[in-house]
This record gives sequence, structure tokens and C-alpha cells, in this order.
Amino acid sequence: MNLSMSSVESLVAQIHGLSSNIGELTQLRNYLKQCDDLLRTESTRLAPLLTELDPSVHSLGYLYILEACTSAPISKDQANKLVLSVARFINVCAAEQIRLAPEKFISICKRLMLQVMLLEDPMRGVAPLLTSIRKLQSSTEQLTTLHPDFMLLCLLSKCYKIGLSVLEDDIFEVDLPRDLFLYCYYGGMICIGQKQFRKALELLHNVVTAPMPIISAIAVEAYKKYILVSLIHLGQFATSFPKYTSSAAQRNLKNFSQSYLELVNSYSTGKVSEVEKCVEIYKDTFGSDNNLGLVKQVVSSMYKRNIQRLTQTYLTLSLQDIANTVQLNSPKEAEMHVLQMIQEGDIYATINQKDGMVRFLEDPEQYKTCEMIERLDFSIQRIMRLSKKLTTMNEVMSCDPSYLGKVGKERQRFDYDDFYTVPSKFTI
Amino acid sequence: MASSSSSGLTFKLHPLVIVNISDHFTRVKSQSHPRRVVGCVIGVQRGRTVEIFNSFELLYDDSTHSLDRAFLEKKQELYKKVFPQFYILGWYSTGSDAHETDMIIHKSLMDINENPVYVLLNPSINPAQKDLPVTIYESELHVIDGNPQLIFVQSSYTIETVEAERISVDHVAHLKPSDGGSAATQLAAHLTGIHSAIKMLNSRVRVLHHYLLAMQKGEIPLENSLLRQVSSLLRRLPAIESEKFQDDFLMEYNDTLLITYLAMFTNCSSTMNELVDKFNTAYDRHSRRGGRTGFI
Repeated sequence: MNLSMSSVESLVAQIHGLSSNIGELTQLRNYLKQCDDLLRTESTRLAPLLTELDPSVHSLGYLYILEACTSAPISKDQANKLVLSVARFINVCAAEQIRLAPEKFISICKRLMLQVMLLEDPMRGVAPLLTSIRKLQSSTEQLTTLHPDFMLLCLLSKCYKIGLSVLEDDIFEVDLPRDLFLYCYYGGMICIGQKQFRKALELLHNVVTAPMPIISAIAVEAYKKYILVSLIHLGQFATSFPKYTSSAAQRNLKNFSQSYLELVNSYSTGKVSEVEKCVEIYKDTFGSDNNLGLVKQVVSSMYKRNIQRLTQTYLTLSLQDIANTVQLNSPKEAEMHVLQMIQEGDIYATINQKDGMVRFLEDPEQYKTCEMIERLDFSIQRIMRLSKKLTTMNEVMSCDPSYLGKVGKERQRFDYDDFYTVPSKFTI
Repeated sequence: MASSSSSGLTFKLHPLVIVNISDHFTRVKSQSHPRRVVGCVIGVQRGRTVEIFNSFELLYDDSTHSLDRAFLEKKQELYKKVFPQFYILGWYSTGSDAHETDMIIHKSLMDINENPVYVLLNPSINPAQKDLPVTIYESELHVIDGNPQLIFVQSSYTIETVEAERISVDHVAHLKPSDGGSAATQLAAHLTGIHSAIKMLNSRVRVLHHYLLAMQKGEIPLENSLLRQVSSLLRRLPAIESEKFQDDFLMEYNDTLLITYLAMFTNCSSTMNELVDKFNTAYDRHSRRGGRTGFI
């Protein structure tokens, strides 16, 4: 239609004209919002328009048009081209401009992800998604909807180190609760893959204790992994939930993970044979949950736990005795285990190979070095920032109307004698 | 009235005396309106050295400017029993300067000790003053206007301490914070002391640095003696350089940092706890069901 073509031309002209500063950009955004339907109908013919625009300068306009282009269903051969064009756009776009239209940006990134998965080459999507996260975030403490997708791509493409680097950031704001659940769950899996069990435990703990009005399937799966990682890393599992867990989680999570709790019971006996028996019984459940690998690690961590317990009783012990107590087959195996534990820093010991004796030592850290001072200083700075945030949150919560309402109601019941100026019934 | 003494006696004053006098004055001041307090000082005189060890209070009649002799004798007897080698060396009083009327008391003590000393404590608190507000006066016979008269002359003195006195004075000096009992305030006071000491050192070093820079630029004429002093000071640094010192220093530094860290942790945990409680009350519908616990 001639009419629509001319309006599209005027659109391009507008984009060219209004892309210089933030005031004009907001104007442009409003205009583009109005043209959204138009763009959608003309999606097939918009491709040549993209060549007229420079993605780094006219990012907002380019974004809208690109989004409309890609909304149509695409065939497999075109998928490659799409991936390339979207990736290129993400690399060069201007961050402030795309932040004005986050939903559009998120949708094209999700489409990118879909296409790379269809092409069965998830690694192609890792770098663009990382750039897109950094551009979309207003600060490193914000969790965007793209984070869990990025984590998923890292998992599928086995690029764990990049995932870990993103996991280093502390999260303070979350856009959608589902993002947090997925992000922490995938993040936990990445950490397990890299054997960073402490961080994995922290992330899975977040999923399990996050506020949820009704039980979420992600939390159920996370809880199962949480039990296993807790056994591997801490050697025990506390079945009581901390008080900030939602009541929905407290009541229901245990029902879904009966076999895992049985494993916990057998682990606490301290005998490897018991644990192996339990694993045999529930092998199918573990298998269907894709947790068999973790369960095997639980069994091997049993030996570690027992050797660690020995350090608390003995100062020196022969390798033969260790093998007997921990139910290993030979002193050679015991030596291997102890050596591995020393390397990983789980225990401090020296092995005398001449007479096969192991001497258990104390932690040699004297806390006298300058590096320790730097570490402490860094931790103190971190905790100061956290403390400031917590106090502001506390104040905000104290003024929250739903909180004040509930507190006001309770007071009325019990304080007959005292006269409080706080209104006893608080209606909003 | 105060010129330097020519008797050639050296005076040694123990801190116990100063503490006693100030205590006496403070007690009287808190009970009734502030007035002069009078007492006796006792000690030992060996040759030319007069060492004042202790003191006790006396009853003093302001109107007649006389001391209660009976009381004085009784007290003297008691003290002689406990400290046989001490005898009355003189008397003390509070005030800003020696009065004419003090001479009367001074003369009345002359029958016990032919050359008594007069210890005067100035109870007004002067923050600018650097030394102790204690002066020791002797009496000398001077010829004024043809009449031989006894007047007070100031003598210099030194402070002498025994081990026990040093410990107690140290204790008193450091328990300055008003409640002073809890470890937290003591730690805070200790760290504040160190902080102000370092700050002062820093400012002084900065003054020197600024001065030297100005000298280098030529704004101030060169002063070789000062430069020599600065150079000798610098050559003496670092004052302590040994591995043992480094170890101990770093360990103490780390301990302080760990204490701070622990304190912040506790603080954060308590804020977090409150926040979680508030969140649970506000948003978790089921947590308060059946929670009709008695509010204390």
C-alpha cells in the first residue's frame, strides 16, 4: 500500500531525526509505540529499512524494527541469518537507548536463544547474551529476565567459567520472581559442575527459601539437589527450615523428596555400606531426577567425612588404620584419599611414606600476614555496604502499610491498661 | 610574695599527696559550698632532700584562722604508729595563691617543724595549663621596710613515685570514661586514644614537610641547624625494625580488624532478623495462624 509505505518512510525519517539525546529519545519511543501495530503488519517488508539505520546511533528505532522483523515465524535457513543480525545488533547497540524499551530487547534476545537452540549450537548464543545482560542491567545488582536464559545456555554449551563470572555479582533487585528461581537453580547446577559446592549451596538455599505463595516445581527440584550438595559439602543436612522460608515451602517440600531424606538418614550412620544400600533402593528415583552423578559424589564424600572425623581424635595414624576405620580396601587407597584431601585443603596433614604414618596438623594460618589484612578489609567494606542496604530496607518495611496493619491489629488484643497513640485498628 | 627559694632544699612530692588533697577538696565541695581545705603533709627529710609521702586532713576554723591543735596531735600520734619514720613536714591548702593569713597557720606549725613547707593546690581547672597546679612554698626571713618578716617563697619540686603509686595512677588515668566498666567502652576509648595520637603525629609531620618544601622552594631562608636536626631524626628511622615487631604488630592489627568485622556481622544479623520478622508478619499469611503467644 502506498499509504503504509509512506508512513514507514516517515518512520525512518523520525528515527534519524530524534536519536540524539534523551529528551528526543523519549519522544521517539512514544512515537514508536504508536507505530507498533503498523510495524507488525508490515513485518515482512521491513528488512531493507534496517540497512538505512545505524544500530549504534539509532539503537531504539533499530530495535523496534528488528523486533517486528523477527516476530514472524522463520525457517531454518533463515535462522542463521537472524542469529547473526541479532548478535551484531547486541554488540553495537547503545545501552541507554535500549533500556527505554526493555521488553522489546528481551524478546529479541529470547528469540536469539530459541534459534541457537534450534540450530543446536548453544555456544553461539553465550557471548551475545552476556553482552545483552551487561547492557540491559542498570547496575550489576539487578537480575534481569535474560539472566536465567544466559545460565541455561552456559549449561547447555558447557561454558561454565563464563557462567561463574556472572554468578560472582551479588543480586539486590529482581524483576520477576521466576527469574530468581531459575537463575539460582541453573547457577547452582553450574557451581556443582565446577565443584564449587559452597556457592552452589548458597544459590540452592536461595531457591528453597525464597518467598513463594504456592509451591513451585523449580523449588522442588532445587530442594533435592540442595539435600545432596549439603551432604557433600557439609556432611550433614538440617531438616528444619530457617524462619524466612515461606510456609508453602515448609509444608510441602519434604513430601516430594522422601527418598532423599532416607539417604540423609543412612548418611548419618557414618557407614558407607548403609549409604550404598540406600542408593541401590532408590536408584530409579535418583535416575529420573538426573541426580545420579551427584548421588555418587555423596557416596565418595562419605570417606572424606570419616577421615575428617579421624583428625579430631588422633594426632598420628597409620595408613592401614585409616583404611580399616573408613572401610577402604587398602592403605594405598587411603593414601590417595588423604592426598586428595590435602590438595583440596580439606585437612592439614603430612604423610610419611617410609613408615606409612599420617600426622594431622593444625590450620597453619596465623592471621599475621598483609594478605589477611587485605582480605579482612575487603570483607569489612562489603559488610558495610550490606549493612547500609539492610537498614534502608528495614526502614522501608517498617513503613509498609500491610506490616503496620497487622501490627496494629495485634496490639489491640493485649494492651488493655496502656494507652497507645497508635490507632488500634488500621484500615487503609 | 613568690620568688625562688634560696634554701637549697630539693623537694620530692609523691602523687598520693596530690590525689589526697584533690579528693579532700572535691568531697567538701560536693557536700557544702566550696571553701578552703587544710591538712598536714608528712614525710621524711634526709639531708637536703625533703620527700613528702602522705597527707591527712585537719579541722580548720575559718573565722579565727586557727587549727584544731588537739585533733592535730591525735592524728599525728595515730600516723606515727603506722609510719614511724614519717613526721610532719608542713601543711597543705587549696586556693589560687598564698594569703597573708596563711602565715599565721605556718607560724603555728613552726613548733612542730622549724621549717615547714606549704603545699598549695589550685583547684580551678585550666585546660591550657600543661603542668600540675601544685606549688610548694617555704618561709624565709627577709628584711622588708626595715622589719624582718617571714614571707613565702616558691620552691621547685619533682614528682617521685614508687611502683605501687605508678600502677594506681595509671589505672585512674585510664578509666576516664564515666561508666568505664564495660569492655566495649574501654576498647573504644583505647582506640580513640590511639587515633588521636596518630592524628597529632600526622599533623606534626605535615607541618615539618610543608616547612621543608617551602625551604626548598626558597620562600623561607635556609636554617642549617634545623636541617641538621631533621636529617638526624630521619636517620634514626625506622625506629623499630625487626621481624618480631612486624609479627606482633600485624597480629594485633588483624585482631582489631576481626573485632570490627565481628561487630558488623552481629549488627547486620540483628537487622536482618528484624527485617525477616517484619516481612513474615506483613506478607506470610499463614505464619501467624495460631501464634497467639503472650506479648511481653
